[in-house]
Amino acid sequence: MNIAESFVSALQCIKANKMRSFLTMLGIIIGISSVITIVSIGQGGKEAIMGEFDDLGTNVINVNVKSLDNEIEERDFLTLKDARLVREKIPEVTTVVPASYGMGHIKTDKDKKFAEIDGVTQDITKLMKMEILAGRFLSEGDIEAARNVIVIDNITANKLFKKPENAVGQKVKVTIGDNNSNLTVIGVVKNAAGDMAEMFGENFPGAGYVPITTGDRIIPDARIVMFSVMLENMDNSKEVAAKIVHLLEQTHRNEGKYAAEEGFKELDMLNNVINIFTMVIGAIAGISLVVGGIGVMNIMLVSVTERTREIGIRKALGARNKDIMLQFLTESLILCLIGGIIGMALGISLGLVVGKIIDIPLGISPLVILLAFAFSSAVGIFFGLYPANKAAKLDPIEALRYE
Amino acid sequence: MIIRVEYLTKVYDTGAIQVEALRNVSLSIEKKEYVAIMGASGSGKSTLMNILGCLDRLTDGKYILDDVDVSTLNDNELAVIRNKKIGFVFQAFNLLPRLSALGNVELPMVYAGIAKSERQERAKAALEKVGLGDRMHHRPNELSGGQKQRVAIARALVNNPAIILADEPTGNLDTKSSEEIMDIFEGLNNEGVTIVMVTHERDIAQHTKRAVVFRDGEIISDKPIENRIIRGGNNL
Repeated sequence: MNIAESFVSALQCIKANKMRSFLTMLGIIIGISSVITIVSIGQGGKEAIMGEFDDLGTNVINVNVKSLDNEIEERDFLTLKDARLVREKIPEVTTVVPASYGMGHIKTDKDKKFAEIDGVTQDITKLMKMEILAGRFLSEGDIEAARNVIVIDNITANKLFKKPENAVGQKVKVTIGDNNSNLTVIGVVKNAAGDMAEMFGENFPGAGYVPITTGDRIIPDARIVMFSVMLENMDNSKEVAAKIVHLLEQTHRNEGKYAAEEGFKELDMLNNVINIFTMVIGAIAGISLVVGGIGVMNIMLVSVTERTREIGIRKALGARNKDIMLQFLTESLILCLIGGIIGMALGISLGLVVGKIIDIPLGISPLVILLAFAFSSAVGIFFGLYPANKAAKLDPIEALRYE
Repeated sequence: MIIRVEYLTKVYDTGAIQVEALRNVSLSIEKKEYVAIMGASGSGKSTLMNILGCLDRLTDGKYILDDVDVSTLNDNELAVIRNKKIGFVFQAFNLLPRLSALGNVELPMVYAGIAKSERQERAKAALEKVGLGDRMHHRPNELSGGQKQRVAIARALVNNPAIILADEPTGNLDTKSSEEIMDIFEGLNNEGVTIVMVTHERDIAQHTKRAVVFRDGEIISDKPIENRIIRGGNNL
């Protein structure tokens, strides 16, 4: 008997015992659907979180002035020259993004908005997602010429100019401490906090980006407290970090004032946590699959006993042991595969519903579907093996005598 | 010679005691013979039947079926022999209830690896031969006892076996159906089919051509049937 024919015959047998077959499949259905639901929601959640960081380089080392432990002297602060030096002296480094910052107000004649003013270079767009809503972002020319320009975020633009389009080309006054300067708005970007910022409404502080060279002038005590250093890859990030610190210490002739660490450590950790969480719950759901498998084995054993006489007849007519084995194995395999397919459909729909409720896209990878197939087949074969073997080993005479 | 059994002994080992079901039995059956194996229950006739049918193994001796020494074969090889050389007809019909008459007759050919179209053709021909051309798609529970046994005979015939082994084929049938079945056997034998039939009914044995009588695991008589009841066998 070939495989195709055992498939047909097994299907007929499953059809002949609809209720029982369905109940047996139920275990597999529940097992597969819960595994798929959990894995796809976990995957989807992870993708959603990672998506936020999607456009950013993740090969980042943050270099800080350690302000807490020691007293910081004027000469310890980082400079633009340091930034250039790091990029030129350390071959692994592709980009250095220095930043200074201050807090103050962005004002028009009528209104003002409290905001964080960052002195940056155009390279910050390689590090952070800067979604341009109107105008343009800072250019290299702006930095070199230390132009009196500013890019504001949508919150500030909405408060001061009603909408982003109106802001471009307008003059604003930026007041930080005692320092007043007149700048021209050249662009509006979406706030880095994204939609979350809008939930806080008007009280959420705005943001303004000025050329770091301009910041030097308009931010009182403008100091570069941080570099973000981008690398080709993170393979030897620890050595590169050490090299950067060493270089800075040499330049500033000091010691123990700088720290350099991987910028997205937290992201990796979050990633791991989600993975472990998904795996643990998935494994618990997997247990139900094993229970389902035991159900399949149970019913197959009943089926073998019930059909002892049939097995005897088949053997008398020339069925070899492996023919009988194949027949019962195919049956449990089909039970599990049908259960697996129904479970998969159920799991995906359940995942879609839950995903909709908690608002994350579903991460249904082909791998998960393949795995579900492989798993339900494996369960079918593993738990079908013992009953099938029992059937194949039956003595034909005793089987024929069985009432 | 189609069956040659030499000094056949079968011992059942039940652990505590050993039961000798057959003792030094020697028997030859020629092609086209029509033999009744007779004896009371416990005489060893069923044991012989199981061994002749390659369902059971002998303890000692030799069994040559159609020039093959089957006493040395393993389970799988025996299954192939049963498939190709032996056609069984049982007292309890032993049809598979889920399959139609046609499906039941196809079964031996399924295990012989014959393609579906040829299988159906041959199964139909076999069913027509036993007069069930109009019942092919009925399931066993829709057939009478006599019809069931005819399906079983069609199934036994369909792989053109060397012998047909019938174990009390009329045991579950009324007189009229029994006669119909014996008619069919007669016709088959006339066509040259070798038939070995186990029975304890003398008047059934009267239809055959030779009676081998067992008692306590040994042959006590082996002679041609006198005053044979010859039925027409003309419905074939």
